[in-house]
Amino acid sequence: MSGPVVEFKAATKRFGATVAVDTATLDIRSGEVLAVLGENGAGKSTLMKMLYGIHPPSEGHILIDGKPSAVQGPADAMRNGIGMVFQHFSQFPALSVRDNLLLAWPKTPFWTGRRNAGIAPALATLAELAPHIDPDVRVADLSVGEQQLVELSKVLNISARIVIFDEPTSVLTPAEAHNLHGFIRRLADDGMAVILITHKLADVTACADRIAVMRRGAIVDVSASGEKPISSIVSLMMGKEIKRTLTAPKPIKQRVEQLFLNNVCAKAPGMELRNISLRIAKGEVLGIAGVAGNGQSLLADVIAGLHPITSGDVVLEGQSIARRDVRQTLATPLGYIPEQPRENAVVEDMTLLRNLNLRALAAGSRVDDEALDLLSRFNVNPPEPGRLAGSLSGGNLQKLVSARELGTPRSGVLACYPTMGLDLAAIEMVYQELFAQAEAGAAVIWISEDLDDLMLAAHRIAILREGEVVAVKDNDGTLSRDEIGALMTGLRIDEVAA
Amino acid sequence: MDAELFAILAAWSVATLRSATPLIFATLGETLTQRVGVINLGIEGEMLMGACVGFAVGVATNNPWLGLMAGAFAGALLSLVYAFLVLVTHANQIGSGLAVWMIALGTTSYFGRALVGQQVTPLPNLGSDWMDDIPFLGVLFDQMTMAVPLAIAAVLFAAWWLANTRPGMQWRAVGESAVVAAENGIRPRLVRLHAIVVGGLLAGFGGAILSVDYTQTWAQEMTKGRGLIAVGLVIVARWKPILVLPICLVFGLAEVATLRVQSAGFAVSPHLLAAVPYLVVLLILIVSHIMPRRDTGMPADLKSVFA
Repeated sequence: MSGPVVEFKAATKRFGATVAVDTATLDIRSGEVLAVLGENGAGKSTLMKMLYGIHPPSEGHILIDGKPSAVQGPADAMRNGIGMVFQHFSQFPALSVRDNLLLAWPKTPFWTGRRNAGIAPALATLAELAPHIDPDVRVADLSVGEQQLVELSKVLNISARIVIFDEPTSVLTPAEAHNLHGFIRRLADDGMAVILITHKLADVTACADRIAVMRRGAIVDVSASGEKPISSIVSLMMGKEIKRTLTAPKPIKQRVEQLFLNNVCAKAPGMELRNISLRIAKGEVLGIAGVAGNGQSLLADVIAGLHPITSGDVVLEGQSIARRDVRQTLATPLGYIPEQPRENAVVEDMTLLRNLNLRALAAGSRVDDEALDLLSRFNVNPPEPGRLAGSLSGGNLQKLVSARELGTPRSGVLACYPTMGLDLAAIEMVYQELFAQAEAGAAVIWISEDLDDLMLAAHRIAILREGEVVAVKDNDGTLSRDEIGALMTGLRIDEVAA
Repeated sequence: MDAELFAILAAWSVATLRSATPLIFATLGETLTQRVGVINLGIEGEMLMGACVGFAVGVATNNPWLGLMAGAFAGALLSLVYAFLVLVTHANQIGSGLAVWMIALGTTSYFGRALVGQQVTPLPNLGSDWMDDIPFLGVLFDQMTMAVPLAIAAVLFAAWWLANTRPGMQWRAVGESAVVAAENGIRPRLVRLHAIVVGGLLAGFGGAILSVDYTQTWAQEMTKGRGLIAVGLVIVARWKPILVLPICLVFGLAEVATLRVQSAGFAVSPHLLAAVPYLVVLLILIVSHIMPRRDTGMPADLKSVFA
């Protein structure tokens, strides 16, 4: 194999005070698939956007073919033979596949009628990749997997020799993902350098030659595929035993079941929940673990009554709280901390006070005035009730949402990654409030990516894989990371350890 | 078949075609503008400006063709004002369109006073002596000018252009999403500028045909909302250039019918009768939207105008 086509030399990317990628050193070679593995926010996409010219490095540099990269933007990158397949395709759903391919092709002739031989090369790649796709069909009528192949054809049409895939399988069904793995392998076998940004272990085991693991902006490990056991890759990705003074909630004395999920089934594009049954007792904290993208967000939406169920029920204290119809008016009684609070949990143009009282506003009832108390109790900074929510930083926004959802007694709480984006002190405060809800009698569902935290504090841990609860384990101190890792990845425990 | 029936049929056909021609140009222009994601209400003003300038130049030069070209040019010039407001200052499209309309209304009313009562040399008829004996076609061509075939050719050309050329494809792409178009290496602002100017050119030409060819007079506010009708007909035609032709002909036919009914002496208020063409188009719009369809053909980026 010849020298690397791309080398990152201590490349760093800062956004303001945050370091998204910290002194990354990595080389990319032709003819191989390099998987860049890491949890959400680990800096994988930013690393590759530095190469693609969207975010040029703040420090350090990138070499292409041994020469310093002069890539200033995506157009430059394409000229240098670098193509990127994004999670969000840049396609026109209302236009035909043919038009979409021609629009992205720099050599499209003036006459684009179908009898013009000049347009044939633009369609040839797709015909080879996916002969079953009719170029006259509108892109909107294709499945997501097919749309991705169209996007891939566009990238290959610019004669790319370095192809970057950004979370390509996150939108695909398992069968489509399997097909894509095959395509990715073929590209590498044809001599291209392929970079696969992913957080799914399945992608890595299916087609990677080398694995770079990223965590909190840094590349923590690069190894050849198969060199290290999957379990140690998982540990590298998730981070190992960080010392944290986490006070676990008290054990439950008497099980009084309060929140029920009875055979819940639901469907969303690319994800299906099948027969999920869970019973959470008064005072219990049930952790939900799983590799990201295995149905966590759909499950949260279903429990919170945002996404309709196809069958089954969610019952809190004897009352159904599930949504059956998208048009139904429904306000969840749960304390609910959703993921991405800026998009999902606040109205940015409203004041902190109004955001704290959204439920009362929606119900049309009078607004009480204990805002200051809550803001200082949850350390929302600055604690000014009249300030617009949109002006808060991400961490303070998360605290604001926690204040609203955990500030009053609840009979049930659903927390999705409640500590994401928070510093250590804030993390402890949020956990304290979350567990205090349980001790006051709430049934708590806690979805987390942090296995260590779950194992420290949850009473039981349910493991979600491909839309199913594959196991519910008592967290009695005998659980091992390997055991949970095996359940999360679907491999047997001896395979994980091997 | 007797010759009398042919003659009536021919008379109605030619009246419909001539009445629809200015509207065909304006609707086609607005269709193209909306296909790049821009709603130009200023088309009413561009038509009016075309009618006024076209008539003035036609009178001054005694050449109707020069008049028509001057009208198209005036429409294009006015559309540049609109393009500046919308593309450079990023002003609201609806407001900018109304502003352009008002500019045209004021200036044409002021400068047009001198044109009232003037005579313009009309376009020559297409008929020739040897044709007179052919039933139907003889009458048809005898009362028709080049404006009608030009309108039909423009529609066919625009439809073909959008479907079969790279720029046409880029126009459609920009109308679907300017953001995605930019990601694909297209410059949406330039494309929109082109489309707005082409729209102005066609609207101005349509306006000039109205004054120079169809009515052969100038009157203040003579377009009487035809530009706004064009905006409505774009929706009825589902943003498809090829459908502009039949839709405008239906409108023209309804207009001719009400005129004939009026002159036949029916005791109905002329103001009520004048509403009939609009009711017919409204009916088509309702029927065509009740029929179940997956999509309306609306360029997706148009929605952002109202966001």
